[in-house]
Amino acid sequence: MLLRHEGFRRLCQARDLLRELREPSPSIADLAREVQISPFHFIRQFEAVFGVTPHQFRIQTRLDAAKRLLAMGQHSVTDVCMEVGFSSLGSFSALFTRRVGEAPSAYRRRVRAMVPVPGILPADLTPGCLSLMGRLSPSALANSVRSFREA
Amino acid sequence: MRIKLMSIMVDDQDKAIRFYTEVLGFKKKHDIPVGEYRWITVTSPEGPDDLELVLEPNANPAGRMFQEAMFSQGIPLAAFEVGDIASEFARLTAKGVAFTRQPAQAGPVSLAVFADTCGNLIQLYQPA
Repeated sequence: MLLRHEGFRRLCQARDLLRELREPSPSIADLAREVQISPFHFIRQFEAVFGVTPHQFRIQTRLDAAKRLLAMGQHSVTDVCMEVGFSSLGSFSALFTRRVGEAPSAYRRRVRAMVPVPGILPADLTPGCLSLMGRLSPSALANSVRSFREA
Repeated sequence: MRIKLMSIMVDDQDKAIRFYTEVLGFKKKHDIPVGEYRWITVTSPEGPDDLELVLEPNANPAGRMFQEAMFSQGIPLAAFEVGDIASEFARLTAKGVAFTRQPAQAGPVSLAVFADTCGNLIQLYQPA
């Protein structure tokens, strides 16, 4: 598909609105109306551009925010659940467990051990600038090293 | 000193490896678990074989803010060279890729821009 300038701008605007964890959260149909795209085209175009539906995007945004808050270690699981816009602790826990692979409480326990200074996330959770490379096993880059030597 | 690794930030590494291999057609070179994330690199089957693109997790809020701002402004964060931009445009469009700019001549090159579904715009260019 080819998006014109205005259409692309509206999808970016929708992305920004979905990043907001405001309550009550607007429905996807409300958002489509706000950015003036029909709900059908909105979902289809959003998925083509961002790789997930608007609904999935919002859930991922909430879970990312929940992970950050849990890692900070200053909030209970219930507080975090409410803070990121879930109204039911049960559905939050089930969704978190399914997507992240462990329950919020287990994630909090495990990740807090990695946080040396309360309130500041460790680099392991927010990697960047190729820093992950330093933690590869010595054999991991063997192929690259060999091709370098042969060159 | 050699240029061997370049990285692009992606919002989801699973989605990224699918898009960069199955849609774009790159080859996976490394996929190694590292703590919470993975070290994933791809190469182009058209070469050079030892130049790897790292699909880097964009978990850093500062990185995400930068990436989303550049995206909203329509600015590509990488450019890939192609031999026939019209046929790449047709091939990728058929696979559901969203373009923000269709192939058009711009000075000495033809350019097109698409969304990589992981938070980036990518420019394709065909030298004249």
